[in-house]
Amino acid sequence: MSIIEIENLSHTYMKGTPLEHKALKGTSMMVHEGECIAIIGHTGSGKSTLIQHFNGLIRPDSGKVVIDGVDLTKKRIDIKGLRRKVGLVFQNPEDQIFEKLIGDDIAYGPFKLGLPLKEVRERVKWAMDMVGLDFEEMKDRQTFALSGGQKRKVALAGILALKPKILVLDEPTAGLDPKSRNELLDKIKFLNKTENLTVIFVSHNMEEVAYLADRVYVMANGTDVLSGTPEDIFTDKEKLQLYQIGTPETVQALYRLKDLGYNVDTSAFTISEAAGEIIKVLANGEGENRG
Amino acid sequence: MASEFELSRNITIGQHVPTGSFIHRLDPRIKLLVFTILVIAIALNTSYVGNALGLLLSIYLFWASKIPVSYGLSGIKPAIPFIIILAVLQLIFQGNVFSGGKVFFEYGFILITSESIRLVIVSAVRFVEIILLSSVLTLSTSTTELTHSIQSLLSPLKKIKFPVHELSLIITIAIRFVPTFAIEMEKMMKAQASRGADFGSGEWWRIIQRTKDMLPIIIPLFNIALSRAEDLILAMESRCYTPGNDRSSYSVYRAIGRDYLVLIIGLLFSALLLFYRFPY
Repeated sequence: MSIIEIENLSHTYMKGTPLEHKALKGTSMMVHEGECIAIIGHTGSGKSTLIQHFNGLIRPDSGKVVIDGVDLTKKRIDIKGLRRKVGLVFQNPEDQIFEKLIGDDIAYGPFKLGLPLKEVRERVKWAMDMVGLDFEEMKDRQTFALSGGQKRKVALAGILALKPKILVLDEPTAGLDPKSRNELLDKIKFLNKTENLTVIFVSHNMEEVAYLADRVYVMANGTDVLSGTPEDIFTDKEKLQLYQIGTPETVQALYRLKDLGYNVDTSAFTISEAAGEIIKVLANGEGENRG
Repeated sequence: MASEFELSRNITIGQHVPTGSFIHRLDPRIKLLVFTILVIAIALNTSYVGNALGLLLSIYLFWASKIPVSYGLSGIKPAIPFIIILAVLQLIFQGNVFSGGKVFFEYGFILITSESIRLVIVSAVRFVEIILLSSVLTLSTSTTELTHSIQSLLSPLKKIKFPVHELSLIITIAIRFVPTFAIEMEKMMKAQASRGADFGSGEWWRIIQRTKDMLPIIIPLFNIALSRAEDLILAMESRCYTPGNDRSSYSVYRAIGRDYLVLIIGLLFSALLLFYRFPY
């Protein structure tokens, strides 16, 4: 069942002013429940505008947007209910932390839902577990004294505490150190695979895309120009060049080997598969497969 | 509804819209000087006709700078509540001060006369004129040009040890960051709305509740402002900015014929507003 359906969506910023800017021009997208979708594309391609439609922060100018059965083109919709269903994590979400204590900040959303204290407490605990923060140890810590990676975890927990069905992340790992980055990616993968959240994320990092995504949408100039599994996208050399999409280092290495004349399967983009291919080449002996 | 969070569209001060018009190409020092004198003249003129002329001039300037007037008018929108409150207060309390003319209404200390009504209308129009004029100035002039001209216009004050450069720098930074913080605030409102916050939906008389609703935006904005300020300091220092040093300028302005012409017309217009006794 498709949980997100977008057809021919357009949006213009600052309409009717000299600074008018067309951000989306007829984008379409279809997401199934439980999928993990990556949106890639250059700056200004409309990714951020697109994802803000998912929880109704931006309403469609024209085109169709249906999120989990809610038609956003209709005037009167339960917008708060929609925002509860779709958790949107902005770029640098640590900026939005405003409470003094970690626990209070994560509890902000659940309190806004009007939940009883006990339920709020449970949700905060669950959300902190999900992102790998120890509830008892961390809930009464000061927010301002945290490191960048920890702040981001707190911000993510603040969204998770709303128990969304769909989690949308705008460049979730930007500006994090490699260790925090890997931790966060694992948490997202866990949420998607084990907790069965539908995950949609924007990224510039192709390793991340290869690691997480079931399917990829490529955006350029306000439209979706390409979509498919990471395998489809990363092996389509022509399109990669046309839209100037980067590839994971694994794919780059395999293409390089192929160019040198080794018989490798360039569609092996995950790290273990690529390693397998490289081992195969090494095992076959140097130069044996050169054409 | 689509622009529920689009704050920046209503802020016209501090945005620069380069259209390359005649107004844009004027010497910024002359532009600023004429602007200042015009604002003073408008602020001191209390006649209907004079302010109507001022309004016409400000609209003409939009036309001349090829910026849609509607864009300038949208900058007035956020000021409307202030204009209304000001008008009501003036109508109620200023009758005894401006007591000349016909008396329309008298009750207790409330006195409404033709003079106090004139004050109310003229102040509202004046407000609009000044917003429009400042919008034209900032829309047609880049911040760098503005700083340079503030500095050069105030430079005579250096003789009495007035910190001219520091002042112009402060003004520039303040203007420059208005749209930046509007964008930051927009982002923050969206981020908190995604967590279930809602703004301005409570009843208006529950002022404390509504103020509390704003805390999730105000606190992060302060944080962002402070960290931006720190970044700015680092950026300036790493380019060897030293306060109080004499510095030369990359851009040198030279006023030509049309600049002087604009100056003369501006001065004449201001003199008209200041000294001519309009019948109405």
